[in-house]
Parts: sequence; C-alpha cells; structure tokens
Amino acid sequence: MLKAINGLGKAARSGVALTTSAAPMLIIGALLYTAFFVKAEPQVGNLQARSIERRDAFYGVAVPQADVVWAAGSYGKVVRSDNAGKSWGVQPTPGDAHLQAISAWDAERAVAVGNHGVVIVTADGGKSWREIEVPHSEVANKLMQVRSYAGGTGWAVGEMGAVLRTRDYGASWTRVLDEKDQAWNDIFFVGEDGWMVGEFGRMMRTRDGGESWSTIDSPLESSLMSVHFRDASNGVAVGLAGAVLVTADGGAVWTEARRVTREHLNCVIWDGSRWVAVGDKGIRVTAGADGSGWTGGRISEQDLSWRTQIARAGDGFVLAGANLAQLEHDQLHIIGRD
Amino acid sequence: MKNATFRALGRVIDLLLRHRVLVVATIAALTCVMGYLAAHIEIKTVFSDLLPKNHPYVAVNNKFKQTFGGSNMVSIMLEVEQGDIFDMKLLGKVQKITQDLKKVEGVDTYQIVSLASKKMKEVRASTEGIESRPLMWPNLPRDQAGIAALREAVLNNPLVYGPYVSIDMKATLITADFTDGAVNYLKAYEQIQAIAERASGDGVLVRVVGEPILYGLVNHYLTETLYIFLITVGALVFLLLLISRTWHGTLLPLVTGGVSAVWALGAAKLMGFHLDPLVIVVAFLITAQAISNSVQLVSRFDDEVAAGAPSTAAAAKASLSNLFKPGMLAIVADAGCVLVVALTPIPMLEKISYIGTVWILSIMFSAMVLTPVLLSWCGLRRRYAHPVNIMPALQGILGLCARLVTSRARYAIVGGAAVVFVVSGLYAFNLKVGDANPGSPILWPDSTYNRDASAINQKFQGSDRMFVVVGGKHEGALKEPAVLEGMERFQKYMEAQPEVGGSLSLADILPAVKRVVREGNARYQELGNSANENGELVYMFVSGADPGDMDRFADPQALNGAVTLFFRDHQGETIRTAIARVKEYVAAHPIADAEFLLAGGLVGVLAAVNEVILAGQIEAIAFALLVLVVCCMFTYRSSVAGMFFMVPVLLSNTLTFSYMAWKGIGMNINTLPVVALGIGLGVDYSFYIVDGIREELHHHRDIGRAIAKSIASAGKGVLITALTLVTSVVLWSFSSLRLQADMGVLIAIWLFISACSALFLMPAMVLVFRPEFIVGSKRHPIEQATAVEPVPAF
Repeated sequence: MLKAINGLGKAARSGVALTTSAAPMLIIGALLYTAFFVKAEPQVGNLQARSIERRDAFYGVAVPQADVVWAAGSYGKVVRSDNAGKSWGVQPTPGDAHLQAISAWDAERAVAVGNHGVVIVTADGGKSWREIEVPHSEVANKLMQVRSYAGGTGWAVGEMGAVLRTRDYGASWTRVLDEKDQAWNDIFFVGEDGWMVGEFGRMMRTRDGGESWSTIDSPLESSLMSVHFRDASNGVAVGLAGAVLVTADGGAVWTEARRVTREHLNCVIWDGSRWVAVGDKGIRVTAGADGSGWTGGRISEQDLSWRTQIARAGDGFVLAGANLAQLEHDQLHIIGRD
Repeated sequence: MKNATFRALGRVIDLLLRHRVLVVATIAALTCVMGYLAAHIEIKTVFSDLLPKNHPYVAVNNKFKQTFGGSNMVSIMLEVEQGDIFDMKLLGKVQKITQDLKKVEGVDTYQIVSLASKKMKEVRASTEGIESRPLMWPNLPRDQAGIAALREAVLNNPLVYGPYVSIDMKATLITADFTDGAVNYLKAYEQIQAIAERASGDGVLVRVVGEPILYGLVNHYLTETLYIFLITVGALVFLLLLISRTWHGTLLPLVTGGVSAVWALGAAKLMGFHLDPLVIVVAFLITAQAISNSVQLVSRFDDEVAAGAPSTAAAAKASLSNLFKPGMLAIVADAGCVLVVALTPIPMLEKISYIGTVWILSIMFSAMVLTPVLLSWCGLRRRYAHPVNIMPALQGILGLCARLVTSRARYAIVGGAAVVFVVSGLYAFNLKVGDANPGSPILWPDSTYNRDASAINQKFQGSDRMFVVVGGKHEGALKEPAVLEGMERFQKYMEAQPEVGGSLSLADILPAVKRVVREGNARYQELGNSANENGELVYMFVSGADPGDMDRFADPQALNGAVTLFFRDHQGETIRTAIARVKEYVAAHPIADAEFLLAGGLVGVLAAVNEVILAGQIEAIAFALLVLVVCCMFTYRSSVAGMFFMVPVLLSNTLTFSYMAWKGIGMNINTLPVVALGIGLGVDYSFYIVDGIREELHHHRDIGRAIAKSIASAGKGVLITALTLVTSVVLWSFSSLRLQADMGVLIAIWLFISACSALFLMPAMVLVFRPEFIVGSKRHPIEQATAVEPVPAF
C-alpha cells in the first residue's frame, strides 16, 4: 500500500504524512464532539398511552345498542366501543371537568353531564362533542345524573336541587324546580311517571311527565343514590350504607329491605329478570322481582373497586367506577389492565 | 535512542547499581511506612460518592431527601403462603420487625413505614368530623373483630391498600430509610438480615431489597473477595514459576506488583481516600501493568545473560537502558490515561483515578529501579527451579507469529483488524448505558437478592423510587387546584409507562379526604374546587396526626411537594424513558404557580449517573488518546507515531464495548471504573514490541530480521505476562458477585486483545506501512548505534 504510494514521489508522500498526522487530532476532536453534544435518546415515541389508563375513573356508562358502549369519567374523558367492549377509542371533548353521567338516545345522539354544571352533547356518535350552556347556580353546580327518553327528552339532576330538562336532544335546557341546598342524585321515568332521589333520603315524584312534582315521605334520612322502576308500580331505590327501599305502588309507600351490606350502594337496575345494585368495594346485591330476599357480596374477591353504575349490554353488563369493567357469565374483566 | 541520551542514562544506571544497597534500603523503608498507612485504609462503600457532583438531579435529591425519602430505602416484604395477611401471627411479625428496625444502626426512625407504624393511619368521618388514628399502633388487634376492622380500614385506604398491602392481600411491605452518610452498609445488612431471619418461618416468607442491603452484601462478600484475590496471586506465582522456571523471574514481578500496591494504598490513605470493595478488581488491573513492566525487564535480563553479558550488573544495566524508553513511555502514557478519568464528575471515579495515577507512577520505582537493582544480585549461572519446560512451546508461538507477520499474511492481518475494528465499532453502539437487565447487575440473576427483588416488584407497585419535586412559586401554591390537577395529570401521564408501577402525591390524598367528608360518596373523590377547600382538606388530613406525617407529600407551608413514582426496575432504558417523559410533559404543560424539579430517590440519582457516564466515558477516551498521542509525538518526534499507537487502543476499546453489549453488561456506575481505567491499558505491550524493532534497526537495516528479533525478546515478555494474567483473572468468575466475575473476564479480554495487537497487528503494520519514525527515511535515516558498553553480541 504505502510502498506503492512512495513511488508517486515527494508530493504524495508529504500528503500522506499530513493526513496521518492530522488523523489523530480529527479522531480525538470527533470523540470530544460526541461526548459534549451527542446524548443517548430514549425511544419515547413508541410509548402510546392506552385509551383506558390506570388512573381513569368512569362514573357513567350508556349502552344504546347491544354492541355500542359509551363511558364518561374523570377529566372530561369519553370513550366509546363499537364492538361490545373489545376495543375502545377516546373521543375529543371540550373542557376537562369530571363527567358524572352519560346517556344516549341512540347510537348517534348522547348527552353527558358533570362537575361545574357541564353538559356536553353529540349528534354524530361522539365524533364531535359540544358544550351546552345550561342554567347555573351561584353556589354549586355539580350534575350527578342524566337520563334520556323518547322524543329527545332528557333530565339532568345535581347539586343545589338542580333539575334540568331538555326536549330537543340536549340542545337547550331549562330549570324545572327552584334551588335548594340539597342535591338530587338520580331521576327515573316510566312514561309520564317520574321519581327523584337525593340527599337526606329525600324523594319526589311526578305523574305528568315532570310538569309538577310532589314530595314523598321517606323512611330514611341518609342519602339515596339511585332509583329504578321496572314498571309504573314496582321500583327500588338504593343509598348509603347498603340502604335498599322497595315500593310496589308507584312510589307512594316505600319499605326498607333488610341490609345485606354496610357498603354504599350507588346504582340499581332491573336487568329483565332481577334487581341488581352495585356500590363500594366491589359489592353487588341482587333480589327477585318483588324486591325481597336481597343477597350479595363481592363480584370478585380480587376486586374491591367502587362502582357508580351498572348497565345491561347484550348478555352481560358494563360497570363504571374506579375502573371500567365487563361482567360476562359472572366473570369480571377489567378493561385496560392486562 | 540518541547516543548522547543513551550515555547520560547509562551514568544514572551505573550510579543506581553502585549504591544498590542504599537504593533497596530506601525503597524498603518507604514501603514499610506506606505499608503501615495502607494497613489502615478503610474499605467501605459510600453511596454518595457514586453520584455526580453539580448535577441538578443530585442537588434536588440532596435538598429534599430528608423529607421525601432518599436513595437508601430498604423494603421488607412479608408474604404468607396460605390465607391472607390479616392473621394475628403475621401482624405480630410486622409489629416485631417494625420495632426491631428502630434499633438498626443508621436507620431514620421517622422513616419506618408499615402497618404497625404510627404513620399508617385510617381517616374516617364521624359525627364530630374527621378522625384519623393509626391502623395498628401501638397495639395489635385484640380479636377477630379487631382484625376484621383492620381489614376494612386497610381496604378503604388507597395509601395502604396497594402500596403497603398487595392487591391480593397475600403480602405486606415494611419500608425503612437510612440517613445518608451515617449508614454502615455491612452492619445494616447484617442486622436487617438477622431481623428477617427471626421473622421468617411459620408459613411466612420474608424478602428484603434496597441499596443498603445490596452494598451490605458486597461488603459481606469482602472476605470471599480477598480469598479470590489471594488465590489469584497464588495462581500468578505458580504460572510465572512454571513459565520462567526461575525464582527471580517469579518473585521480582511479584515484588514490583506488591511494592506498587503498597505505595498506592498508602498514598490513598494519605490523600484521605477509602477503598470501595467493588473496585478491588481495578487493583488487579494496575498490578497487571506493574507485573508486565517487570517481566519485560527480567526477560530482557535473561536474554542479556544468555547472550554472554560479563556480569549480572552489566546485564541489568543493558536491559534497563534498552527498555528505559518504552517502559517510561508506557508508564507515563498509562498514568496520563488514568488521570484524565478524573474529569468524569463522579467523586468515586475521581478518587480511583488519583489512586490509579499514583499507583502507575510508582511502577517507575518498583519496576524501573527496583527490578534491575535486585537483578544485579542474581547469579550469572542459570538455575532452574523445576524441570518442566514450556519455553519451546512459547517460542513456537512467537516463531509462528514472526513468520506470519513477515509473510504476505501481514496484509490479511492488517485488513482483518480493520474489519474487526469497523464491525466491533458498529456493534458497540448496542452497549447499554445504565443497567441492562432487571435486578442488580452486581449479583447473579439467581441470587437471593435478585429473586427477592423480582418477587417484591411483582406483588407491589415497584420498590425503586423516584421523586419529582413540585416547587411552588409562593407559599400555599400546592393548595391551588391548578397545581394539584397538574400533579394528578402528570402522574397519569407517567403511569402510562409500563415499568412505572404507580405514583403517589398530595393529589391522591386530598380526593380520598374529600370523599370521606362527603359521606363517602365516590362521586366526590376529587380535588377541592378552590385553594381554600384544598387547605381545609389538608388540615383535616393532618389534624390529629403527628406533625411530620404530611412531610412525604408536602411541606407545612405548602410550598414544595413531591410526586413519588414507583418503578418495577431500574434499567437504563426505563430511567431514560421516564426522565424524557417527565421533560416532555413539563414542556407541554407548564403550571403557572409551580415547576417540576428532577429528580430524587434512587431512580432519580441513577438517572443523573447515567446521563453523566456515557459522555464522561467518551470524553475520557478522547483525552486518553490525546495523552497517548502527545506522549508518542514527544518520544518519537513524529505525529505519525500518535496515529500508529492509537490503533491498538481504539481496537481494544471497541472490542471490549462489543463484548459488554453482547453479554448484556451495562455501562453503569459499577462497571465504569474498570472500563474507564482500561482505556489506555495494554498499549505498553505495543510500545515494547515496536520500540524493540526500532532499537534493533539501530544495528542493521533489515526490517524483517528486526521484527523477528523484537518478537523473540520483547514478545516473550508480552506472551508471559498475558498468559499468566489472563489465566489468573479468570479465577474471578467464581466470585459470588457477578460484577467481579464480569469485570475479571473484561480485564482478561482487554489483556488478551492488547497482547494480540502487540504480537500480530503492530509488527504487521510496521511492515505494511513502514512508518518513518520506526524505519527511518532517506532524509532522516536511523542513527546507527556506536559501540557503547556493553554491546550485547548478537
């Protein structure tokens, strides 16, 4: 190699000498440059947050069709699955107030409500959500529950005696009752008959689709969290510390059932064959059609998370709360924790 | 060498040899003094020495570790084999361990947290308001009803259920923090181990992890380490005796190594340094240098005697005067390469670097002075210590080597080396900075400690912690809803990383309190709507509690708080990703009233270390090369010489890095000393060979003959040193500490590559490139030696 170059004469030789003399300095310079300016870059880009994260709490779910599930929760997060919970997509929502409830008229139109009196609606299956101005109180505005009924009617209830009604799929809302320092936790309608339950065991009913409301005597002074009727006569309300009230006459007289748990019960539904209520620490209690003989315990001994809603979805259930879960054949599957 | 310099050196050597008794006595006396000092050197690990100074993360850690928990956390897990932890026997053990931990030396008694500590509280609403009381302090539950109540309280409390009681309720955790600086790792390890052993049994498994335990284990194995060291020295003696067949060929290199070691350790004591048990392997690295230089001298001496030197003094003088230049060059270049390591801003490396520099410089006296002086006492007549002669085999190897490099194969060797360099250079990019595997790389993967660590990380959120300080811009900033929400969102963002098992901050506490205030209604498990409301929630949480209970979340002024992240492992990539994500989040979501400060806890300081070491290592390589080039340019008056000797150094570095990448040995705080000090290692073999060629060309102009001659004499020394050292270093692979085994193999590879480059690559390169500084040119021919006494008759 160099032997051959030597033959090329003096010029080439001095060129080679220059290169070999400069080479060490170049190598050292390059190393120093690397040391000072090149940093090991981690591959952060590969890390995509899942649609349902560990810290997400979901307070409400809605199941407009057997395979469509909507859930709304903390920091204004709304997720939707179009394949019965196999996969979930996060939907863009305005604002970041916690959403406490969601309800859907159909697979396209839905409403969600939450802290600070936030109401958001969609008419395109959640591709876009828009915030609606609703009547506010000066004191407190947290909305606890929203329900949707045929013809674009909807009801939302919450703090400071808030009872809001819409007749146009959530586009506009009016306040139905005056403010008072007591929160309503749930509202439920069967046709023209409607019931509300709330703090201090308070209950009200309407028989004309919500035009006029009358107070019902309640056997309880602790808060009621949820009410549900399987027809115009038979209903169940549940509340704190495992309280269960049953009525068979459209809500005129309520009797307290024997408590099977001391945990709070947050939601009760009629699933077509029995009453099911869920609450804190993974508790679920059930009873037959007449609302007697309540039994229950934890859905799964491994799961002690609190739940605020249970909804029928196909053959199983969807559960909202500290986590989002599915219950099929009594097997609990928590979404996003595998 | 210039004839004038040669004569001046000759006079000095004569002087040394004339006063040889005085010289030996002086060195012996010095060695005695240093030996006394060296015997008092402390062997211990100081964790803070491993942390880069002036790094912002370390500053944050040092400022806040007292309140938010430092890097000295020990976690003890009690796991039941059957049933769950709500069992009187197990709870009793938890209480016993919690009490016993207070007596462990160096433990911060305020930072012991368990079910049985006063800190662990349940918060409940009653008619009078909020009541908070310890879960299981000072007394255990009395009966089954008490246990049931405890169980309910635990399940209700997100600060306990999850972080301190596993989700399946089969395990519970006890954590204790140690005061930095005050902790004696060995004592801490032994005491905690004793506590753990007393508690295990009756169907309860006790597992212990944490940095104090890890470093305690290292100290625990110190005796074993010393045994291995002694066995290595024994193997060294045996191999040297086997190969050299003479007592002076065996003992003189050992005396050199010993004297250097004693001087270096004595000097370290004088400088006020201590010795880290993890870097004892490094001692071997430098001793290898000392032995190598001495073996060269002895081997040359034997050659001179065989060539018919008139007296042993003459032979000693001839060997020293011939090897003076490459020897000094090797020592000065090595010392320089080790000294530049001090630029890495890690105190431990700085200390090792100073000790190492003194150590290598001491070789000047122990090898260059002591060895020839002692040689002058040897007899001229060769007396063999044993009949086994493997020298012909060695000469066979050297002969083969000489034939190879002078044949056409030399082009293949140079080409092959170039290919190896490029391939290994590229593969070296796979080297992981930080730990490359889960568990501690110091210990074997199947060691009890690593098994315990993986078990704990499986049951709990993760035992390695990092805290990010949320620094408020004014008092009370931490009560602002925007700040608290920012913290909660930050936690959520960080938890998307799979290795982050969980996180904890004030933003987790207040929602739980608010829910309690609001009749336990889950819909109110959220932060307060205003700074005032949050202030009330804080007040309720703290009321009835000890002052200081809130400290691990925020200070009383609500000025600074912490988000604690729990990691399942501390691999380099995990930490880098986490830090990058913190920065990404902070950049995208600024908070008006507060800022996020990186980063404390074990993971935080490891992040600092990892950020520093790669740049530090490359910088050290660059400066080491600079030292080498300058030394070579000065010695040979040629800039090409610098390039020439850079080749073996670059090659050994890329190959070693490739080996580390291949074996999954990460470049971390524990491997760094060997890797850094090894940079310039082994180039001295090349110095001896190339200088041998050059000196030979003073006597004739036949390059091929000069190469063969140099390989036969200097090459013999290289081969002897490499063979003995590589073989004895392999003994380290039997160490109970994986790190020492890894480092032993690494040193062996390093020496092997250096020997190979010296024996094959360098001569081949001389012949292929014919650099002017070796073979001379028409304008600068090699000065031919004049007859200086004694000229060995070849």
